[in-house]
Amino acid sequence: MKAIRFTQLATLALLATLGGTATASAQSKTLTISWWGYNGEKMTANIIDPFKKICGCDIVFETGNNADRLNKLKLRDGKGVDVIYLTDSFSQLGIEQGLFQPVDPAKIPNLSEIYELGRAPQGKYGPAYTIGRIGLVYDSAKVNPPITSWNDLWRPDLKGSVSLPGITTTAGPMVVVQAGKHAGVDPYTGTDKAFEAVEALKPNVVKNYNTGSELVNLISTGEVRVAIGQDFTLASMQAAVKTMTWAKLKDGDIATLNTVNIPKGSTNVELAHQFINFILSKDVQQKEAEQGVDAPISTKVQLTPDQAKIWTYGADQVSSLTRIDYAKMNAAKTDWIDRWNEVFGK
Amino acid sequence: MNKLARWGLTMPATIAVVLLLVIPVLLTIATTFGEAAGPFSTYTAFFKSGFRMAVLYRTLQVALITTGIALVVGFITAYVIAQMPGRLKSIMIVAAVFPLLTGVVVRSFAWLIILGKNGIINNVLMSVGLIGEPLSMLYTQGSVIVAMVYLFVPLMILTLVGVLEGIPRDLIEAAASLGARPIPTFLQVILPLAAPGLIVGAVLVFTGSFTSYATPQLLGGEKQMMMGTFLYQRAMVTFDWVGASTIAAIMVVITIGVVLIMSRMARRLNPMAV
Amino acid sequence: MMATRIHPLLGAFAILVFFFLLAPLVIIVGSALSDTTFLTFPPQGLTLRWFANIFQMEAFRRTAITSLQVAILGTGLSLLVGIPAAYALNRYRVELPRWLSTLFVLPILVPEIVFGFALLKSITIGLGLPVFISLVVGHALLILPYSVRVVGASLASFDFSIEEAARSLGCPPLKTFMTVVLPNIRAGVIAAFILAFITSINDVSVSVFLTGPGISTLPIQILAHMEQFFDPTIASVSVLLMLVTVGVMAIVEATLGLTFLTK
Repeated sequence: MKAIRFTQLATLALLATLGGTATASAQSKTLTISWWGYNGEKMTANIIDPFKKICGCDIVFETGNNADRLNKLKLRDGKGVDVIYLTDSFSQLGIEQGLFQPVDPAKIPNLSEIYELGRAPQGKYGPAYTIGRIGLVYDSAKVNPPITSWNDLWRPDLKGSVSLPGITTTAGPMVVVQAGKHAGVDPYTGTDKAFEAVEALKPNVVKNYNTGSELVNLISTGEVRVAIGQDFTLASMQAAVKTMTWAKLKDGDIATLNTVNIPKGSTNVELAHQFINFILSKDVQQKEAEQGVDAPISTKVQLTPDQAKIWTYGADQVSSLTRIDYAKMNAAKTDWIDRWNEVFGK
Repeated sequence: MNKLARWGLTMPATIAVVLLLVIPVLLTIATTFGEAAGPFSTYTAFFKSGFRMAVLYRTLQVALITTGIALVVGFITAYVIAQMPGRLKSIMIVAAVFPLLTGVVVRSFAWLIILGKNGIINNVLMSVGLIGEPLSMLYTQGSVIVAMVYLFVPLMILTLVGVLEGIPRDLIEAAASLGARPIPTFLQVILPLAAPGLIVGAVLVFTGSFTSYATPQLLGGEKQMMMGTFLYQRAMVTFDWVGASTIAAIMVVITIGVVLIMSRMARRLNPMAV
Repeated sequence: MMATRIHPLLGAFAILVFFFLLAPLVIIVGSALSDTTFLTFPPQGLTLRWFANIFQMEAFRRTAITSLQVAILGTGLSLLVGIPAAYALNRYRVELPRWLSTLFVLPILVPEIVFGFALLKSITIGLGLPVFISLVVGHALLILPYSVRVVGASLASFDFSIEEAARSLGCPPLKTFMTVVLPNIRAGVIAAFILAFITSINDVSVSVFLTGPGISTLPIQILAHMEQFFDPTIASVSVLLMLVTVGVMAIVEATLGLTFLTK
């Protein structure tokens, strides 16, 4: 009977998978790291394997995007993870929700080697380990004159050719900040005026994007010529359209920092400090930058111009960046999302 | 004995659903009534907002249109598949499954290539001279529906092939030999017998499209925002689980309502339909 | 069984539907082969490196295995619990309350994110189950509606008097079910299996909450990869999944014969 053979097959398959999942790993010390999960091979080679040798411990990962991992940490009341990698807007959220413990700078001597803005970007909590920027990219073959200021986004000749980051992405709320500047108001107090400026920008917008790959698609299919973007997407955009250019803005790019924090329920606080100190060391930072993984935040890292061109690199560039007050921005976010939906959802 | 059997057989599934789903979800939704501004404040705020009501209305509209199209398209295709000889039938079923194996991002990329301004359809129409200017097909309600129909027709086909095969062929032949015309045969014999399958398919497609968020976001953009996107923003961006649960509660109540109406319609066609 | 004649218009319509379903796959296959670091169609240059990329990345391999295990165990569990329920719902239609059948669609009726959130609270935190078990249980619950309802739709047209006959001849209940009922609803069970398996293996929203330290699933790993890379790897994963499906079907064909899929 075929049905019976099928049942037997299914049972066998079930047993086989059950057997395969029986794992046994019970080492004395296990450091649990929560991070995004991309570039795993380089992370293992540059950071995990060398660190395992130093600490004699085992390392496990929890992977996922910022929101997923922070949400889970909150549900577990700050437990289950020893070190968490987040972008700065999310680590600010975590701090506000009381999920992290303060770090002890005395246990992270390498802090003295990193740029000032990364040492304690959000009060007494975790430092930044890499630095990035948000700015404007445009197709220099099709956009003339070149873009030199955030105000250029409102130029009438860019009608129907711009893509903005959606309000729910890292870069999204920055659009509101820049719109406020364009309108000459503080976006937090003069929100109405700032959103009038966002509304004025609408005719120029083709579609807002929510992920980097969506932006790259919009550019490679020719739907978009100008966008607000993060520096790490530039290489992919240039691979699709050679003339995509990072605009030199006289009013400055915006800094984004990725931070590392120790959740309040960590059971390996000492080890977590040791790990953070390790990833800030010159050696690790140098390797990660050379291999195109993360921009260095250590002042000791030396890069050739070719290696440096994809990164925010050097004291001059770092000092030209604008910082965002995430505490203020997060407080305004729910209201901004509603207003943004009203503007672009109509 | 019989009583024991019927409860015993449904018990594991019932316990699992009640314990692991109904109770936790009810507890989550209960949090929405604990607001300082009054137990229903989050709901009145939702229903007072014209924009939110527009999103709700759009979501309902898109889900119903998608379900309707998927029902007709899926039924006809499943009917044809069910008539095919063994091997061809299996190959067709496997082919229908393929679209389900593509991730949402690649799939929407494919639709971008097909429907975009310099996409395949526009190129063909322009070169034939049917249109002078490229049509804007992307980021419209139409593009969202096309992408959803693409995703849900296979589900409908799979659900219906099994049901249509179960209809005894001699019944149809008997009807035909008694002189019944194809359309009355269809309406009076096939349709009532297929009703249980149609209702299951319709429920699966409706709930799937009503709660979806990635497809409308990628192919519709912000102008085509749907409830799922709203919910996602509240939960995963602002960490506002009370707001998210409010939206979820509204969605659950509406889907249960629609599912009950659908079941009633199916029961009118065939009293055996559950 | 000899096929009855199909009206040519219906046949033409079905061909159009298959064109609609399969044409976009050409674009996906093409972009998976493109020698560019971004998705593009038609492909520029041909390469298999995005396929190689999947196999080289340890995280992809590991999570693919987890996803397969979870999908197989979860689907098995949901069928094990779901088929008896579907059977009872149809067999004892009059005696059982109607709300039961609505109860079993709830897992897909509740928006996935809230479902995942509630599951994390109930299974992982509440019951304290290990991550892998939570994933299996969570997936089984998520796909239970397919097991109950799709199998149930097949059972609706099953003539239970055949079963009565076997029973009255002294055949024990379980054997009757296996030898009389199951073969008659095979198409429904297979459809439920396919839908449940695919739903499990593609699921993001529920898995996002249930994965934990050391354990992740393939779709989540793909999303993680896409945070930083926009290359055709994601397209080649889709193509690979299709190839695996074809492969599984070929094995089924060789061992059981493809008609095994249908009656």
